[in-house]
Amino acid sequence: MSSVKAGLKLEVKRGTFTFRVKRYDPKTGGYRWSEYKVEVTNRQTVLDALLKIKSTQDATLAVRYSCRMGICGSCAMIINGVPRLACETKPFELGTDVITIEPLSNFKPIKDLVVDMDEFFEKHKSVKPWLIRRDEREQFEKLDSYYVQTEEQLINYLEFAYCIKCGACYSACPMVFLNKNYLGPQALAAAYRWSADNRDEGYVLRLKVIDSDNGVWSCHYSGTCSKVCPKGADPALAINLLKKSLLTGKPPAR
Amino acid sequence: MISMVAKSTLMKWHYITGLILVVVLGIHLAFRWPSYEASIQWSGPHGVYEQLLNIGYMAAIFILLYAATYHAMNGLRTLLLELHQGRYWNTAVNVVIIALGIFIVIVGTVALVGALQVI
Amino acid sequence: MTEKLATKRNPPKWSLWLRGLDEWLLIFQKVSGAILAIYLIGHTLVISTALGFGHPSQLTWDRVIGLIEGPRVVGVAHVGTIIEYLIALLAAVHGANGVRLILMQYFGLGLPKPERRTYPMIPSPRKSPQLVYKYLVIAVVIVFIILASYVAFVG
Repeated sequence: MSSVKAGLKLEVKRGTFTFRVKRYDPKTGGYRWSEYKVEVTNRQTVLDALLKIKSTQDATLAVRYSCRMGICGSCAMIINGVPRLACETKPFELGTDVITIEPLSNFKPIKDLVVDMDEFFEKHKSVKPWLIRRDEREQFEKLDSYYVQTEEQLINYLEFAYCIKCGACYSACPMVFLNKNYLGPQALAAAYRWSADNRDEGYVLRLKVIDSDNGVWSCHYSGTCSKVCPKGADPALAINLLKKSLLTGKPPAR
Repeated sequence: MISMVAKSTLMKWHYITGLILVVVLGIHLAFRWPSYEASIQWSGPHGVYEQLLNIGYMAAIFILLYAATYHAMNGLRTLLLELHQGRYWNTAVNVVIIALGIFIVIVGTVALVGALQVI
Repeated sequence: MTEKLATKRNPPKWSLWLRGLDEWLLIFQKVSGAILAIYLIGHTLVISTALGFGHPSQLTWDRVIGLIEGPRVVGVAHVGTIIEYLIALLAAVHGANGVRLILMQYFGLGLPKPERRTYPMIPSPRKSPQLVYKYLVIAVVIVFIILASYVAFVG
């Protein structure tokens, strides 16, 4: 991203790009390609282009989106072969005249670019991604002071808390492709994020799910998940730290 | 039966035997210096008979046998199970791997112990 | 939400994995591991046979090893020498990469400490400790090739 220096005039350039969209058709159960030519400026994103297609050319194109600013995680799709957020990718910065858009891989498609995130969220839920205290009622009925956390304790897990559950890492992981029951980088990074939080006391409850063939041990460090994460949440690092805890028997850093 | 041991215990030993293997395999390969051909002749300098006499080297070979068997069998099991071909496949892999492992350990131990008698 | 979809998952983008070194190392580790495991079975059987299953003698040894090694092909090296040389090379790369994985996952060496996010965001596989590791692996393998070539073909 270029930084804006005071006094620098930013030029608005326009260009026409061809968008080749791979669409899933639920009636036939197959895919087809649609091509659209759209004029966009150098400040518009792929999501802007897709919405422009929906409003001016083809209203049947199904796209999931919400915040349009990279925080909700709804618009993840494969753009020019790499899973990215459509609202954070600019056609001018991709460098090609033809932009190929496909629905996320490793997910079941519903229609066009929309995929079914149920399995992804089920796996996320299975690691219990919430604060667990020994006394279950403490947080809700008996809490009379706050949980103390120093800056060092915060930094232990902060990076992994930036995850917006967009599914790009799940889509990029080759082990998710090979093992249908693999939890996936997002669920494991979430397991680490909660286990490394000093306020949480539920690490042992998550162990059974993490320490299994479908948990951490299906990861073989291809590193693709971290390379595509739009928020820099680095799931590969979280999984390696989890493996270190499991192998040495010491709970994650507090 | 395998699931009674936590996967992390199996993998911990996989990594420990891996590190041990780097050392003992290094020794095993280092004994080929300076000439591979000479080290596979029975008699002569750097020959097999001389290697059998070297107690430290033979200890390393024993360790090599057991560590390599565990590491190789666990590794094979992991990669075969990750092909995910169903329940019968999984049971078959477990049975064959354990049988192979026991077979290699027995054959190797018999041969090595017998070889030690000769010196 | 929706009923269980009977559809199949979207196929993966192979191009994403073809240009990453880590992905190739993953495949290499598994394939070389399988080859080495099969070699282990063969090697144990051959050496145990050559040692006479507990009754070693020079005659058995010479006969079995002579059979296995095959004729001389390159200088002093036999067919068997070449095969063992290649296997040793596979073991060296498998081992060097394996040590890198073990140091990372057991001891946490080379894993960057989580820190506050800075821009540009660099994922941990691209940070410098990982690059140091990979260059070390390459250096170890090159040294190994030099030594092994001397031992096999010249010695």
